[in-house]
Amino acid sequence: MSKNTKKQFRYFTIADQKKEEEYLRKMHNEGWKLVRISGLCMYHFEKCEPEDVVYQLDFDPKSNENKSEYIKMFSDCGWEYIQDFVGYSYFRKPCSEMNGEESIFNDAESKTAMLQRVIKTKLLPLMIIFLCSLVQFRIALISHSYVLIVIWSVLLAVYVVIFVSFLIFYIKSKEK
Amino acid sequence: MDAHIKKVYVPMTETGFYILYCLQKENHGYGIVQAVEKITNGEIRLAPGTMYGSLCKMEKDGLIKFTAEQDKRKLYIITELGKEILQLELKRIRRLYKTTQEEI
Repeated sequence: MSKNTKKQFRYFTIADQKKEEEYLRKMHNEGWKLVRISGLCMYHFEKCEPEDVVYQLDFDPKSNENKSEYIKMFSDCGWEYIQDFVGYSYFRKPCSEMNGEESIFNDAESKTAMLQRVIKTKLLPLMIIFLCSLVQFRIALISHSYVLIVIWSVLLAVYVVIFVSFLIFYIKSKEK
Repeated sequence: MDAHIKKVYVPMTETGFYILYCLQKENHGYGIVQAVEKITNGEIRLAPGTMYGSLCKMEKDGLIKFTAEQDKRKLYIITELGKEILQLELKRIRRLYKTTQEEI
């Protein structure tokens, strides 16, 4: 790997959106600009002049119906589109081009609406898998299959953590 | 008018109000962002995520309609339903303002 590029593996759940945005901003501040995200959450960077650049994620499955119009709206407002990754669209804008703090959302209602789209598209399917896992867990318990009990327990625990942390994230965002 | 639509949009967000207000003349999302910045002396700056979501929702609810595409920007104009909603909202705002002019 050349010295001008760098790859990092990072896993962010749907509740970690803010952390992910902060991570990308921090990298850019340290002179590593996001080029793309690939496969299993591999973040590719290239060396750049350190700069304070705000990264933001949007989630709007409807935008796929007319992606070029969607991207144009953001670029008109100074937000560079990077790519889509697992349904999220990644944007960035240098602080030097902003008048004070800027975000891709200007009110709490639209931010909440985005989180509701995440719930509808991502969290509901997860919930169904969760319920299926619960049934599997019961079967494993009845059949005293310890390996399966352990596997399902871990999976269920992970799910509970994701649900709870997303819920906290959602409530916190709403309060703002 | 659909009672549900009325409930959703009256009262409406500041963003929603400015979109409807500006779309009395045909315009696109970024045009509205610029117009609002101008008429509010830079006090209100609409952001693209909010703007995109609001336009989609208002189009779906029939308050505005798509007219043409120009250089990858979609142009919209207010519909009759949109005008009715805007009038209801204006009436509400005027009443609020009138209240503040009277003594408590």
